[in-house]
Amino acid sequence: MKRTIRTVSGILVIALWAGLAAFAWFAPKKTVSQAERRPLQQMPQITWNDLQNGSFMGQFETYCLDQFPLRDNFRSLKALWSYHILDYQDNNGIYTEDGHVAKLDFPLNETSVQYAINRFTTIYETYLKDTGSKVYMTVIPDKNFYLAEENGYPAMDYETLFQKVNAGMPWAQTVDITKALDISCYYKTDSHWRQEMILPVAAKLCVAMNAAPPDPQAFTESLASDSFRGVYYGQSALPLDGEDLYLLESEMLNACRVYNHETKTYTGIYDLEKLSGYDPYDVFLSGAQALLTIENPNAESDRELIVFRDSFGSCLVPLLLREYGKVTVVDIRYIRLDLLAENVEFNGQDVLFAYSASILNNSASLK
Amino acid sequence: MLFSGIPFLYYFLPAVMACYFLAPKSLKNTVLLLFSLVFYAWGEPKFVVLMAVTIVVFYICGLAIGKAKLKPWRRFWLILSALAGVGFLAIFKYADFFIGSFNKVTGLSVPLLRLALPIGISFYTFQSLSYTIDVYRNNVPAQKNIIHFATYVTLFPQLIAGPIVRYVDVNRELENRVHNWEDILSGIRRFLLGLGKKILIADQFALLIKLFRESQNPSVLFYWMYAIAFMLSIYFDFSGYSDMAIGLGRIFGFHFPENFRYPYISKSITEFWRRWHISLGSWFRDYVYIPMGGNRVKPLRWVWNILTVWLLTGLWHGAAWNFVLWGLLFAAVLLIEKWIPALQKLPGVLKHGYVLLLICVSFVIFNADGLSQAGSDLQSMFGFGNLPVVTGETLYYLKSFAILFGVGILGATPLAKWAGERVSRTRSGAILELFVLIALLLVCTAYLVDGSFSPFLYFRF
Repeated sequence: MKRTIRTVSGILVIALWAGLAAFAWFAPKKTVSQAERRPLQQMPQITWNDLQNGSFMGQFETYCLDQFPLRDNFRSLKALWSYHILDYQDNNGIYTEDGHVAKLDFPLNETSVQYAINRFTTIYETYLKDTGSKVYMTVIPDKNFYLAEENGYPAMDYETLFQKVNAGMPWAQTVDITKALDISCYYKTDSHWRQEMILPVAAKLCVAMNAAPPDPQAFTESLASDSFRGVYYGQSALPLDGEDLYLLESEMLNACRVYNHETKTYTGIYDLEKLSGYDPYDVFLSGAQALLTIENPNAESDRELIVFRDSFGSCLVPLLLREYGKVTVVDIRYIRLDLLAENVEFNGQDVLFAYSASILNNSASLK
Repeated sequence: MLFSGIPFLYYFLPAVMACYFLAPKSLKNTVLLLFSLVFYAWGEPKFVVLMAVTIVVFYICGLAIGKAKLKPWRRFWLILSALAGVGFLAIFKYADFFIGSFNKVTGLSVPLLRLALPIGISFYTFQSLSYTIDVYRNNVPAQKNIIHFATYVTLFPQLIAGPIVRYVDVNRELENRVHNWEDILSGIRRFLLGLGKKILIADQFALLIKLFRESQNPSVLFYWMYAIAFMLSIYFDFSGYSDMAIGLGRIFGFHFPENFRYPYISKSITEFWRRWHISLGSWFRDYVYIPMGGNRVKPLRWVWNILTVWLLTGLWHGAAWNFVLWGLLFAAVLLIEKWIPALQKLPGVLKHGYVLLLICVSFVIFNADGLSQAGSDLQSMFGFGNLPVVTGETLYYLKSFAILFGVGILGATPLAKWAGERVSRTRSGAILELFVLIALLLVCTAYLVDGSFSPFLYFRF
């Protein structure tokens, strides 16, 4: 009897193995992975050169991994095994706490922070120093600020980060927004904050810049997606629920026009087409863009603002518009500093640097 | 190509198995040879030529030794084969090490050859050498069929990572082997167990080692975690690979020798080397140590024999001074164990402790990137590196990897095998075994699909 069970067991294992192999060989191939937000490797061309130098083999191995049947399910299985069987505190650096998913980012990389400060200082010295601009700086805390240390995860030394930024940018007034936020202000499956939760942050910044803060009554929350899955959804590979993504809409925002200097086109504040793209968070100011100019015909004054920002700025900037007729939004990850002069006139506008702690700690992408 | 990769598991292996079992008996070795060449060429296309030259040289030398009637001629062909094998190793593996060392000593700047190391060259060279030596000793007849001989040298299950299968161990199976369901099933079982050891344990320790090396806040405790993790990682990595090789061999009708027998339960270093990489130890014993006279010589000569064998063992693992030091360390300890028999009268716990500590230290030397890093790693481990005893980061990783350490430590003892055998004797145990095998296949696949595997540690040898 035992022998029969063994034989049947063997046949079942072989059948499963062969089934997966057949599926891997013959199943239709996908072109993109929605969960991982990237195109998938296709079967590489076989050429004599690629065979000789081994590049075919490398590409084929990537193809096998990318196109493996039930890839997302297998990635989930691995994540669940890591968390629940091996009791890992994180999986590939991703951890979950209180329903939130976050990515470990430690220790503080002071060299990286200094590099970022040097880039900002170059901007100040080159374009702002002699214009009379008032310059402000805010460090946007990432999720780890509220989640990591108190739950036993290693975290960067935020105290030192803030001190270093303060000391390194004496020409800017720093605005502490940490107390205007808590973990509920962030999406559970994404690194970013929720626009509908950051009005107090916008208010704090506006007050610091002597501008009128946003009027909460002027906004209505509009549900753009009830199944938003952020960047950590794909990275964690955990079976997580989608969440609501709201846009704050107002008459003023609806009247704004956003000029994209790269594509030389106009859009609105919210680019609804992006909701069906890789990253629905790109709905805010069309996501990663080098240089935008927001024209606000209903501004309460003709003041102008220049914001140097990362992706967190995309949903923050619309909330700063009340008093600014023109806001220039610059992301120096995508535009060289020497090209700024060709596209932006620096003439005493208010200037805000708004960068997240994670970008400062990993600043190599700043040009 | 790695056994622990999706291309091997789901493309290469099903293809080779289908072709092999569909092929008539007379063509089975040809199928294995062709697939083995593809397997080798996958990682190193250009070095297939070197392998082909090795095959032809050893095949001709083997035939010539077999045909020669006079001992001098037999010896000539043996030396020729040895020169070819050792010559290839010297050129491709050791030339730059010796040139670099020569340059350092003399201050000259003789240009390095900068040749890539052909994968598995140490393994297939030693296997080929065992063939001509055994033919010379009349332990085995020369192989007349070049397909059979080439199949032996290139046989993909043990081509790149052993065990070092001697020709004498498989010569009958090369020509006439039996395939049965029992062997195929036990081969698959062994392969999956090895795959699990490699991916679910060894690679996870490799992850911790990577995190340790990247850490900017190391501590004394983190160094010890690293040392123990590497001990466990290399054991599960190499023994897992050996299990996979033995399992694959069994599927195709071969019976390879065991390569590991729970080395970390040893009570002496002598015993450790009877349990660790057994095929290498026995190769050096039978083809180097005993021909040099073994221990049946004067004491000084015996010391020389031990030092030579362990120097070569160190160099076999890598062309660098830390491997030389690693080999000589074992030589010294083996001599001490032989000279001070009282050591064996110590309580068992102490003997275990001494063996584990020494192996731990030896693997820190082994894994270092040169003597300087070995020295600094050991300094830090023993509290001379100006490091804190523990940091928050260390505790985090200790907590995170605690279960893995537990599994690794228990798995390195015969306990898991003992429990598995007891459970599998029952009917429900047989059903449980099915679930374990399916779980191993699926979870290993999940880890591979997530792209978190690391290359086999012994590749560089």
